[in-house]
Amino acid sequence: MLNYVIRRLVGAIPVLIGVIAVVFILTTIVPGDPARIMMGQRGNPETIAKIRHEMGLDKPLPVQFFDFMKNALTLNLGRSYRNNMTVVEAIATRIPVTFKLAFFAIIIAVAVGVPLGIISAVKQYSWIDYGAMFFAILGISAPVFWVALLSVVLFCVILGWIPGTGTGNGELIYYVLPSIVLGLRPAALIARLTRSSMLEIIRQDYIRTARAKGLSERVVIMKHALRNALIPVVTVIGIEVASLLSGVVITEQIFSLPGLGRLSVEALTNRDFPVIRGVVLFMAFIFVLANLIVDLSYPFFDPRIKYD
Amino acid sequence: MLKKSLVVLLVLLLAITTLAGCGGEKPAEEGTTQPQQSESKILRVGVMSNPPKLDPVFATDTSSARVIYQIFETLVDYDNDGKVQPLLAESWDISEDGTEYIFHLRKGVKFHDSIEGKPTANGGREVTADDWIWTFNYILNPDTNSPRAYFLDMIKGYQDYQDKKTEQIAGITKIDDYTLKIEIDYPFAPFLSVLAYNTFNVLPKEDVEKYGTEQFNFHPVGTGPFKFEQWVQDDKIVLSKNENYWAKDKDGNQLPYLDGVEFGIVTDLAMQWTEFGLGNFDIIEEVDDPYYEEAKKMPNFIERAELGTYYYGFNLTMAPFKDNKPLRQAFNYAIDREGLINMVMNGRALPASGPLPPGMMGYDENIQPKYTYDVEKAKSLLKDAGYPNGIKVELVYNTSEGHKRIAEALQAQFKQVGIDVALKNVDWGALLDAADRLEIPFFRMGWVADYPDPDNFLYVLLHSNNIGPNGNYTGFSNKQFDDLTLRARKETDPAVREKLYKEAEAIAREEAPWLFIYHYTTHGLAQPYVKNMRVPFFGAYSLKYTELDIQK
Repeated sequence: MLNYVIRRLVGAIPVLIGVIAVVFILTTIVPGDPARIMMGQRGNPETIAKIRHEMGLDKPLPVQFFDFMKNALTLNLGRSYRNNMTVVEAIATRIPVTFKLAFFAIIIAVAVGVPLGIISAVKQYSWIDYGAMFFAILGISAPVFWVALLSVVLFCVILGWIPGTGTGNGELIYYVLPSIVLGLRPAALIARLTRSSMLEIIRQDYIRTARAKGLSERVVIMKHALRNALIPVVTVIGIEVASLLSGVVITEQIFSLPGLGRLSVEALTNRDFPVIRGVVLFMAFIFVLANLIVDLSYPFFDPRIKYD
Repeated sequence: MLKKSLVVLLVLLLAITTLAGCGGEKPAEEGTTQPQQSESKILRVGVMSNPPKLDPVFATDTSSARVIYQIFETLVDYDNDGKVQPLLAESWDISEDGTEYIFHLRKGVKFHDSIEGKPTANGGREVTADDWIWTFNYILNPDTNSPRAYFLDMIKGYQDYQDKKTEQIAGITKIDDYTLKIEIDYPFAPFLSVLAYNTFNVLPKEDVEKYGTEQFNFHPVGTGPFKFEQWVQDDKIVLSKNENYWAKDKDGNQLPYLDGVEFGIVTDLAMQWTEFGLGNFDIIEEVDDPYYEEAKKMPNFIERAELGTYYYGFNLTMAPFKDNKPLRQAFNYAIDREGLINMVMNGRALPASGPLPPGMMGYDENIQPKYTYDVEKAKSLLKDAGYPNGIKVELVYNTSEGHKRIAEALQAQFKQVGIDVALKNVDWGALLDAADRLEIPFFRMGWVADYPDPDNFLYVLLHSNNIGPNGNYTGFSNKQFDDLTLRARKETDPAVREKLYKEAEAIAREEAPWLFIYHYTTHGLAQPYVKNMRVPFFGAYSLKYTELDIQK
């Protein structure tokens, strides 16, 4: 098991280097000089040249890349061009917000998606099934920004249940609406997947055997069927982490949450290369980690799977 | 069993956190962000972006300036109509030849004694002439790299200081603790206006040195009416009242009236408007077009002309606009500015016929030519220009919904006279890069004054000294125009200056290096209970909250 984890983590290194190489190339080939943008519309050429030099932008690209990789190894990702904050600090201050948002969204997705999928499968072709699948289709197809705006109008303006956007003084109430909005799509996806997976499983011979043994329906479904049905669902949760990370960009923007999504939008529009690279590297790492955790959880659902 | 308990645990966790969230609302009511509280006068301002800089030495944008205006102070300031008025200098004398300025500093001005709840390094001491000397030397020091240092390149000894031939800039000296002398190389009429630019604020040496250039940005200390308390990146900036502020109102009451300011960063304009409607903001930065009509009916909505011009530049160093005045004039006659402003911009702009905006010295609406919508004239000029069958050009603009709408409307208007304009959008950095190098024939630009003087338009944007990143992106070079703007720069008699600028403006109109489109307007919106709300002519972002009050 430990060997497997180490192997996977070592295997992730080339992936991360590859990701950062692509981002590095993309951020440097786009036109637009960060030193120039820092100066505002009008800039003194000598000062621009000096700032370019201080940022190391006048060095050849391979040298810049090598410098960056060398520093990245010691977790020195440079400083933001925009406000001079270290990239590590800029990311670290945003992680709690995005983490809370993503965590609640995943919990909502699982807490809503799995039960809905089970009920739909068990009561196939009932009104509950139709209702749940209608919700699932809606959840998958409705764009995040649209759901976000409508939910603000409903819960903040009309009903007044939620105080508004931002994070207030850190109260969790500010995360409720964004988490639901962000969790909606994965919830819908998980519901559909759980349903189809369950439908397949409950027709298996061993389920019939379990029923024939006289086990109660609850035990048959929850213990024998669900555990096996959950493997594809868990896989999808791992993949959904990636779409969640892109979802936070829109959700944070609309709800004015100061997380990684906002940071990346600001960095992109301001040519803040060090921050862009840092955020992408961090997100790639989270993605690799999330999938590793998913892989490691398989033996829990299916003891036949073993990692040596 | 394990997974069952896991699900139960997760559901419980969710329920607890949600409940905790609901419970968390209450204590916040005593805090600063909730709309319900009314005892403490905290002004909640909705802004669109996280300011990059709170250190005035490095700020170049309006989102930073909006906050900096509350924390820091300059020697002089503008009144609501743009006239220079005293701020930290109580009065000043200018020598007859216009090259020597003696500033009589205000007594009793103190640096902030605390920020973020902790004492500052300066300890709240008084500002003297030494502080001004240190500050100017720090800003103008070539190692500081202040992007706006060159605004003061006329100060005596600037170049020697830049070249590190001197330890200190020669032209700034102390007469006594409360008297400061600044000498400049040549009479420069807009000098006082430049000193009001929000880079040139007095700074406490101790705190700048304590935090260093990198960290002072996150712990700014000034003399202004509000002190820095907290900055949650992308979320909010909190300022508190400076209890030791030097100013009193005309009845002798201590200023500022407010207990603090909280800038809430809400990027989405629809959301900002919603929050304003909910009463979560007292002032919002921007009213987007869909809400304009509704906002206009509100009691505290103020709109006025801003010192700015929106234009498309013709590159005068390459075909087809090089050496082809009739072509450039044809473009100027081909567009219906009123139509554009009314149909596309909700009427929120003023038509432009030249570079200078209304309200600026030298602006005169009777200066000829006056570009009106004249299809026949445009067609005939097009013929004179050598394009009897029309012309095809590409307009490069920077990506934004507003710029796109305007470009599309003008594209349709151009078509009617036989000008076929292809549109290409690139982002701001790419546009600036290409414009700096004079690489694109036809491009979008805009300009809002740094200081309220025609020099900041005509000299900066069209003098041949400034071709390239210094501001002249069209490569316009006209000897007569250069002479006039240079003379006006050094002239001290306002009447003569005005005359010179009028002549220069007439040349710019006639030569048409730009497609003059419109002059900006600026607006501010506050809740009815915000008292003394105003919009400075310089733009809503430059409003100082010193005299604002909340009376619910």
